[in-house]
Amino acid sequence: MGGRGEIRLAELTKSYGRTTALDGVDLEVRAGELLTLVGPSGSGKSTVLRLIAGLDRPDRGRVLVDGQDVARVPPHRRAVAMVFQDYALYPHLTVLGNLTFGLRVRRVPRAEADRRARAAADRLGIAELLDRHPDEMSGGQRQRVALARALLREPSVYLLDEPLASLDAPLRFATRADLLALHRDLGTTTVHVTHDQAEAMTLGDRVAVLHQGRVRQVGPPQQVYDEPADTVVAAFLGSPPMNLVPGGGVLGGAAGLTLGVRPEDLALDPAGPIEATVEAVEALGSEAVLLTRCADGTRLTVRTGPRPGVRPGDPVRLRPDPDRIHRFDAATGRRR
Amino acid sequence: MTGGRNRRPLTGWAFLAPYAVAVALLVALPALLNVGYAFTDHTGLTRDPRFVGLANVRRLLDDPFLLDSLRASLLHVALAVPVRLLAAVGLALLLAAPRPGGRWFRVAVYLPTVVPDVALAVLFLWVLNPLYGPLNQLLGLFGHPGFTWLADPTTARLAVVLMLAFPIGEGFVVVLAARRLLDGRLYEAAALEGCGPFGQLRRLTLPLLAPVLVLLAVRDTILTLQVNFVPAYVLTDGRPANATLYLPVYIFDQAFEFSGFAYGALISMVLMAVTGVIITGLLLMVRRWRVLR
Repeated sequence: MGGRGEIRLAELTKSYGRTTALDGVDLEVRAGELLTLVGPSGSGKSTVLRLIAGLDRPDRGRVLVDGQDVARVPPHRRAVAMVFQDYALYPHLTVLGNLTFGLRVRRVPRAEADRRARAAADRLGIAELLDRHPDEMSGGQRQRVALARALLREPSVYLLDEPLASLDAPLRFATRADLLALHRDLGTTTVHVTHDQAEAMTLGDRVAVLHQGRVRQVGPPQQVYDEPADTVVAAFLGSPPMNLVPGGGVLGGAAGLTLGVRPEDLALDPAGPIEATVEAVEALGSEAVLLTRCADGTRLTVRTGPRPGVRPGDPVRLRPDPDRIHRFDAATGRRR
Repeated sequence: MTGGRNRRPLTGWAFLAPYAVAVALLVALPALLNVGYAFTDHTGLTRDPRFVGLANVRRLLDDPFLLDSLRASLLHVALAVPVRLLAAVGLALLLAAPRPGGRWFRVAVYLPTVVPDVALAVLFLWVLNPLYGPLNQLLGLFGHPGFTWLADPTTARLAVVLMLAFPIGEGFVVVLAARRLLDGRLYEAAALEGCGPFGQLRRLTLPLLAPVLVLLAVRDTILTLQVNFVPAYVLTDGRPANATLYLPVYIFDQAFEFSGFAYGALISMVLMAVTGVIITGLLLMVRRWRVLR
């Protein structure tokens, strides 16, 4: 136990039956860092966590924690704590029972286990729930119990598997801030898996984009957003996603290229070079999203202020920010 | 749509009716008649039973065979229910995980349940035969001379329990199904906290299965008090020394062998009372563990 919690994954490969979950994943998580692992469902995110935790064994490749290959280390000796998506609370135990479970297994005396459980419960604001059973609590409360249980492990690494996915939107927003604060307090290495881009952008020191079992890009969220390494990352991060247009189309560029522009980098401008027709307007309150179609059939999504003053069927002219046009190789999808 | 609200309870009763009629005619009515017969001199042969008041009850209180019978039944329940539950739960937990060939083992565990009781009992006459039975031959491999199984009171009781330890298929499939419904993540969470296989059994599997286990224990108690009739009838006929004169056997003897139908009726009420007391005790015991929330 102990250690700084630095993780290195080297050429990690894992298949379940005929499905390849991970296909040579190389990834480094720095000590004390909060890394967000983001990707569409089925991209292998949870598998990465399971391999770090030791719940599954890789087919090939290595997991190194603080420089040590942990292939032969059983899960409970890995100094990792995992929060499962559905929390995996023990339904037959009260909150106190859930929190002290691991301590009791590790033969911590009951009084001491209770004391530590209460301290963890206090920290997460669930002290008044200690006598409840999991089925008597809301999703948010259960999530806090799961976090408190992880805290009590005092691990070198936290593995969070979509911990916010089962919460409703306002609660998710609040809990996101709590998670950040908790990580700042603890300073413990954390790998946070999500398919939610808002979480990916806001939570992590760095974000790793996983797609079809491969890491496509790792970096600070803003950098990944501003300079996506390939079209997959470009299309995945950002909502609505980046407009990708073949070279020679409305965004110009040579053949053999794919050009991309984010919806917020397209402006309505009567003198703009691109001619389009509004197909739909999605008013989101604080902003509006226009779905437009150009003369050559290219669809472009435009993000504007809350009241754009256009209606479906209106002709508009668009001006892309020339500094924010991304160029990708059409064949490989890689950034050029 | 008028009348729909009124019709619904009627529809429910209509569906219930065939079963309710059968229960009333085949169970409730005979049970009530049974209570009535217990206070007559009915032999089961004549049509004019006469009311004799508490004469049968006085005979009951003074019946040494009844004490033997009660002792046999209680010993049997105390031994057979735990053995059968342990076998059903143990095998179900061992065979619940999907592994190659697992289904053949599961079939093998269930198979004796499909065999009719009488056939199983005849089979056990051979298994328990002191001269050529496989059980004594097995003991012989370890240098043991073997037992005259059905001739000695203690071994005869054990022999019946042994036979009834095989038809456990129903409890087995119930536990198997219940175990497979438990969330695998709980076990992963426990493994991460350092909880090994035995810890998981003690801290997760058994507590989570507790409601099912209590249900099975209650059911098996009721069953065990009754199904020992066939093995006792085929293997020992209540002997030796009344060691296997279980209540159902004694009721049968009184009602049909000795033409004491009324007295048999009274003892069957005793059997029902014994069953009720044991189950109440069982439920009171588990209430402290709060498994039936």
